[in-house]
Amino acid sequence: MTGPRRLAVPRRVAVSAREDGCPETVDGRAVDSVRESWLIEDRWWTDRPLRRRYWEVVTTCGRNEVVFHDLEGGRWWQQR
Amino acid sequence: MIVCVLLPRFQLTVAASDRTELLQAPAALAPDLGGVQAIGEVSLPAEAFGVHPGMRLGEALARCPTLTLVPPDPAGVADSWERLLVRLESIGAAVEPERPGLACFDARGLLRLHGGIESVLAAARRALRVPARYGLAPSRFAAVAAATRARVRRPVIIRGGRDQARAFLASMPVALLRARPVLAELPEALERLGVGTLGELAALPAAALADRFGPAGLLAHELACGGDGALRPRPASELVRESLELPEAASGSQLERGLELLIDRLLARRERRGRTLRAVVLSAVLVERGGTWREQVVFREALADPVRMRLALAPRLDAIPAPAEELRMAVERFGPPASDQRGLLEDPAAARMARLREAIRQTRAAAGPDAALRVLEVDPGSRFPERRTVLAPFEG
Repeated sequence: MTGPRRLAVPRRVAVSAREDGCPETVDGRAVDSVRESWLIEDRWWTDRPLRRRYWEVVTTCGRNEVVFHDLEGGRWWQQR
Repeated sequence: MIVCVLLPRFQLTVAASDRTELLQAPAALAPDLGGVQAIGEVSLPAEAFGVHPGMRLGEALARCPTLTLVPPDPAGVADSWERLLVRLESIGAAVEPERPGLACFDARGLLRLHGGIESVLAAARRALRVPARYGLAPSRFAAVAAATRARVRRPVIIRGGRDQARAFLASMPVALLRARPVLAELPEALERLGVGTLGELAALPAAALADRFGPAGLLAHELACGGDGALRPRPASELVRESLELPEAASGSQLERGLELLIDRLLARRERRGRTLRAVVLSAVLVERGGTWREQVVFREALADPVRMRLALAPRLDAIPAPAEELRMAVERFGPPASDQRGLLEDPAAARMARLREAIRQTRAAAGPDAALRVLEVDPGSRFPERRTVLAPFEG
């Protein structure tokens, strides 16, 4: 390792969502319930603002997943 | 500017030794004993049959039924390679050995010393004293690619920056990526998708490659665009070695007595200067041209006691696959000067910390520099989880 490495780096994940943005499946696993959802905005004063809508969901197989929708890039990411 | 020194088929040439006729016919390095059944380096005639290094033995023999398998000579390769690296280092180069037969060094620090890049190459050629191919480029990967295109007396030099390296690599096949172990599987998949050259690979969006191949795709894209990571030169080493010729093919208790003698000789060497031994390499030349055997042993604690060293090393001799006609032992790394005595009134906290540092040194000696890491809080209150903590080397 040449230098410090970040932990909890977001990873790409396949999510299908409803029109209101609520996830229906995460990596092919159906979402059973949504535990929490929150919005984070930062660096809005720069050319590269960060806007994320986080969702903490429980899938039908019992896994607790935290995923977010990158409102700038449009992609879905998974984060621990 | 990175200089790459390439000695093609180095391991096969060393293993074939004086049987040079083997290299004129289809031949390959036999798989390691007890390892994966994949062949090593192959001769030029074998390549004509479509046989390449890393291919499964069954497939290689199916493609080329006349293929001759040469027993590997890991000890001979390590010795010859170490000699060549020391010669390269003698011109002032900080060398990163990628694998036996392929080494790179940064020429920037040597330009004034030798008076220009051509003079650096000439100095390296004089020091090495064996025919080698030289490639010079802004990145390590491009330098390796340039070396594969070079001739013994005609080095390939790519001047400029990243763009020139990218332009040079554009027409080269993606198969060059196989040189990186983490990318060994990638060229086949790329070729199936119709991506045949590094230029075509560089033209693809990085995001698309990341989606399809993950980190390997991003690395391949970076390499194809003329980039690469920084060189990691090896630390300066000392070659302290002892060998013992065994008059008759030896095994079992005879080998153990030979080992005792080797340990005593090694500990008596003046170059040791009272230091302990942290890691050693045991090797043996097998009878009837059966190749060589080599094993690195990292001691649990740096040792200077011959009895404890023998206890640690003797069981390794059972792994030698055939009777040996020569036994060798070399110091891989020295430890601190021999002194295990602790102070009577030592502070317990300091003693604990010293033991922890020692444990970390042992772990790193056995498993590499990434073996001991710590989670460091950078911005624990950040709303973005990836900004809160980093993984950093453990400083004992």
